[in-house]
Amino acid sequence: MTAAASSDADLISAHAAGDPYAFSELVKRHRDRMWAVALRTLRDPEEAADALQEAFISAFRAASSFRAESQVTTWLHRIVVNACLDRMRRRQTRPTVPLPEAGPGEPVAPRDAMSDRETSLMVQQALMELPEEQRAPIVLVDIEGYSVAETAQLLGIAEGTVKSRCARGRAKLAKVLGHLRNRIADANVPADGVNVQEQRQWEGR
Amino acid sequence: MTGMERVPMGPPWSVDLIADLHAGVLPPEVAAQLRPRVEADAEASEVLRALDATLEDLHSLPPVPMPDHVAARIDAALAAEARPGIAPVVSLSDARRRRNRRLGMGGGVLVAAAAAFGIVLAVSPGAQQPPANDAAPAPTSKQSEAPPLALKRDELGSAVGEVLGAQNYGPLETPDRLTGCLKGGGITSSGTPLGISPIDLEGRSAVMAILPAGLGKYRLVVLDPATCGPDRQEGVLADTTVGQR
Repeated sequence: MTAAASSDADLISAHAAGDPYAFSELVKRHRDRMWAVALRTLRDPEEAADALQEAFISAFRAASSFRAESQVTTWLHRIVVNACLDRMRRRQTRPTVPLPEAGPGEPVAPRDAMSDRETSLMVQQALMELPEEQRAPIVLVDIEGYSVAETAQLLGIAEGTVKSRCARGRAKLAKVLGHLRNRIADANVPADGVNVQEQRQWEGR
Repeated sequence: MTGMERVPMGPPWSVDLIADLHAGVLPPEVAAQLRPRVEADAEASEVLRALDATLEDLHSLPPVPMPDHVAARIDAALAAEARPGIAPVVSLSDARRRRNRRLGMGGGVLVAAAAAFGIVLAVSPGAQQPPANDAAPAPTSKQSEAPPLALKRDELGSAVGEVLGAQNYGPLETPDRLTGCLKGGGITSSGTPLGISPIDLEGRSAVMAILPAGLGKYRLVVLDPATCGPDRQEGVLADTTVGQR
């Protein structure tokens, strides 16, 4: 099999048929994106590496039962996200290890200018301040570019919940990043004519 | 959806409500009526712009490539999973637990055998004997509590499953010392080895390091801690690559 010319689905089939190189090729194709998701979700590079290793091994074993109803990347992402969520649940009582200032694996050289680098560090820092239930959908939808429907499927929650968690997370980030003036951000009171319960019903929780 | 949802009165509107509008949380008919009113209000528009700017920040985060050492570790774990005869590595903690258990059990069996039969270790008849080195200093610290894995030269590959994931420098003590010893053998290696552990090579105290050698391959380097160094090639007792062709 010419790995470079094969589709992801071909690689999965080849793996199931016993091709010893097919799965490694699949991992090679997607590992950067999976690493970004794991790192940004878990924040701790060691935990991210452990979660990814666990996820890839688990995918390796389950690949023969993969059915082509979903895309390979979605399937792989789901396994990675689940591995991360498992770790997040397990460590809830433990303090998290903050990312070093530059962030592990972050490009050493800034893409354009120092200001780009500073902005990206600020955003990384701000993401850390979000509760995990908001950070995961923000990472998938706003950073990795998954649709709300795909994210709902990946996280196993309703689409409305994905939207409302993204909404809450973005509002917090807007404040932390200084896009929202404090006066506005602090005046965060329910509007006249609508009660909180009605608003919560819209959130689909 | 009843179609009877009330449109929130305002201004002012809460930031959360505007964020819901921005994220598409509100029912479409409510959003359709609310949006023009929000956009007509200076303060609410400012919140929308702030949310847009936040999204732009998130979209423009640079990609985060997987560090080489993580990629090598995952390649090694997958290769171990694919190779028959090598126990798959499920997680680092499992690997650590398994390794410790096996090193302890294997060593115990060997010590028991040695005591019972009055021998040290079996040495393959054709194997090259390392030169005697009576002056070699005993390892000074960080010796493994369990006796090291005993190996012959022609069975180094069988130790991959045991050593992979181990980070026991034994008598080499430090990563710098390992780098120096590898350099002596003309081997350039950056970063942490995929595994390193003291072994007993045909009766001689040694250290095995597993280095990445491409997808699904491992370079197994066995060093003599007593003689290896940056300028001493003879400190490399074995250097072989195993794994997928």
